[in-house]
Amino acid sequence: MKDQVAVIGVGCTKFGDRFERSYEELITDAAFDAYADAGIDSSEIDAAYLGTYLPGAGGGKAAVSLGDALRLYERPITRVENYCATGTDAFRNGCLAIAAGVADVVLVVGAEKLKDRGGRGIPRLGHPLLARGNTAPGLFALAANRYMHTFGIGRETLARVAVKNHHNGALNEKAHLRMEITAEQVLKAPIIAWPFGLFDCCPTTDGAAAAIICRADRARRFKKDPVFVKGVGLAVTTGRPYFDPTFDYLGFRSTQAAARQAYAMAGVAPRDIDFAEVHDCFTWTEISNIEDLGFCAKGEGGRMVEEGRTALDGDIPVNPSGGLKSFGHPIGASGVRMIYECVTQLRDEAGARQVRHPELGLAHNVGGPGAVSCVVVLGRG
Amino acid sequence: MIGVTRIATYVPRRRLERSVIGQTWGTRAGGGKRAVAGLDEDSLTMAVDAVLACLDGADPAELDALYFASTTSPYLEKQVASVVATAADLPRTIAIADFAGSVRAGVGALRVALDGVRAGSLRSALVAAADARLADPASELEPVLGDGAAAVIVGTERVIAELVSSASVAEEFTYFWRTDEQRTVQVAEPRFGASYGYARDVAEAVTAALRKAEVPPASVAGLALGAPDERAAAEAARRAGCDPGRQLVPSFASEVGVLGTPEPLALLARALETAAPGDFLVVAGYGEGADALVFRATDALPGGRPHPLADRLARALSVPSYGRFLRARGFVPAETAGEPVTSIIEWKELAQDVRLHGSRCEACGLVQYPQTRVCLACQARDRLVEHKLAKRGTVFTFTIDNLAPVAEHPLPMAVIDLEGGGRLYLQVTDAADGEVKVGTPVELTFRRLHEAGGNRNYFWKARPVS
Repeated sequence: MKDQVAVIGVGCTKFGDRFERSYEELITDAAFDAYADAGIDSSEIDAAYLGTYLPGAGGGKAAVSLGDALRLYERPITRVENYCATGTDAFRNGCLAIAAGVADVVLVVGAEKLKDRGGRGIPRLGHPLLARGNTAPGLFALAANRYMHTFGIGRETLARVAVKNHHNGALNEKAHLRMEITAEQVLKAPIIAWPFGLFDCCPTTDGAAAAIICRADRARRFKKDPVFVKGVGLAVTTGRPYFDPTFDYLGFRSTQAAARQAYAMAGVAPRDIDFAEVHDCFTWTEISNIEDLGFCAKGEGGRMVEEGRTALDGDIPVNPSGGLKSFGHPIGASGVRMIYECVTQLRDEAGARQVRHPELGLAHNVGGPGAVSCVVVLGRG
Repeated sequence: MIGVTRIATYVPRRRLERSVIGQTWGTRAGGGKRAVAGLDEDSLTMAVDAVLACLDGADPAELDALYFASTTSPYLEKQVASVVATAADLPRTIAIADFAGSVRAGVGALRVALDGVRAGSLRSALVAAADARLADPASELEPVLGDGAAAVIVGTERVIAELVSSASVAEEFTYFWRTDEQRTVQVAEPRFGASYGYARDVAEAVTAALRKAEVPPASVAGLALGAPDERAAAEAARRAGCDPGRQLVPSFASEVGVLGTPEPLALLARALETAAPGDFLVVAGYGEGADALVFRATDALPGGRPHPLADRLARALSVPSYGRFLRARGFVPAETAGEPVTSIIEWKELAQDVRLHGSRCEACGLVQYPQTRVCLACQARDRLVEHKLAKRGTVFTFTIDNLAPVAEHPLPMAVIDLEGGGRLYLQVTDAADGEVKVGTPVELTFRRLHEAGGNRNYFWKARPVS
């Protein structure tokens, strides 16, 4: 599928506590932004994909939420839900529709309104194996503690990720948490699930993002500088890693497999990637992700962060947008928001947070934790 | 020879200093501590803990009956003996019954078990007694009570205390009661009750049993008398012709409180920690009369003594405040949000969730949980056989969670590698600060996990072991 699909427009709402916007309004804002960027109107959309995980109040379980928000009727619209990989997987499905030849122009939207539903990440499952105690930070913390025990790193190293991503996010007017923080603040914050304190965790956020993709051979009709889809990968492993005695808790096999698929399709190696938007739901996750994506060896991610190699001016900037940590994490929106950031960077339009002349960018989601991961490689020309 | 073959006591790890109750109410609550069942404990879970400690390697296949005795069953309708038997992974063919009504139920169930063995209809029988009785806040009874459980196996092989005789007294007498609408134990005329409702009847039953055994009162080595308090026990001993100071098995009152139904069995266990072969031990329970049983320690006792209770008592966790005590005992309304476990899931997954059976792959040998048809490691299909998991293991990784929807934070959650294979993801309970780490040895305990839909969901948790 390499170079068969191009991104001709992207849009993104301001992320944050969007109490003044409904679920459908967030979708509308992001989609209209993307229409304007691509210079098209809705009549040119052949098909659409909605990535959403917890549509909740005001958002249906079906794709109708997207159809009604945009009055986009009598066309195929599909809702995609795949844990935290929901957004990137919606994008991937849009690419497949184009590569299959059944659609020329496809709209992909990721949207989530989490602030209408109280806290998230607290499943209240009735099943005895999972009931009560199973939280998102708690699940990722299981891996973080084992990793820190194995490689001998401390919370100070994790804090470096939060400080870096807040720095980047402060430069980004669409980010949720736009303030610089210090390592001391991170370390002194209340503990949510050891070893994660408040600032090791991404916030609960409202937001939506959109991308318009089309057949690569028609892309320049819409946009003089389209960005091309070089590779995609999606991998599922067990959703119950805590029952798998063969799992070492030092990284996620789904990310490793999805990255292998995406690199193979793109015909590139990890060292060819110029910057990456990775799934930093918690600080440790970013450290593990950059290892799983092949940017460094397993166990060396902490040092890579400490040496500043993942900073905006480092040799591989990671989360120049501010990441989930600062930009926010409306679950289904995040993956599409990462595509938005990659396209913006590849067009050299990222302003104060612009990475120096990137050729290849990578977007990565992982959810479950570790159950499902999606990787997208995008490039110029 | 018929008698006790194994015996064990369970006391919750949490203790409340009585002075905390005294300071709260401005009363003289006495010294020492009382044991406090945690939020996730009740008579059912404590009975399972006592039974697992009691079995400790014994072959459950010999057990033909399990009797549960308690005045504080978590169910007024629904049998608890069946839950205890299933959690202990006993066979489906076991006879089960619940005993209740008064704290006499423990010795009553023991007597029925011994009679069943003597009649030859049971090879071996298990009695699990537990109580977590509630007293009104600020009442005299509040600091006195304590929570705990005991389990006794009776049979004919490897008997450590042989049954010599038994006697009973039945008398309608209102001393302690709880109607079907009351949560807390009520007590009438305590001084009168202790003498007439307790000491008189217990002494009568003990005297009758000793007479049948042809054992003079003075030669009894230990009196394991369940009692409303230490003074009443002493009066009962004197009335039976014994010397309380010399012959009463030392009470738990100052360390754990008055246990209720399990108390006579727990006192027997304490006596058997140090008794010599040939010693006569008397066990008595009270409530609308009394039952007394006379045992003689056998030559097998030194090889089959119970684990010392002092070891368990030494690993105490302090309940830090009166408020935390009230919450632990269910006086503070608990959040009941959440989905109930459906009876369909319960039934379908009984072996997996309650018996704690996983799968073992016949192709590659991997032990895995939950049960599966396709092997996690080698993907072999339908080569997996049901496999009983061990209840001891080690923490592989963990977190200490402050977000989880539970009443008490922080909540340790851990991934446990079990001895002999299998990995579980469980809540950790009864852990001291800093006790849960990578590598911490744990054992499994059956606890109340959550309440929803007007019912309780019980499942396994892990607890640190020394």
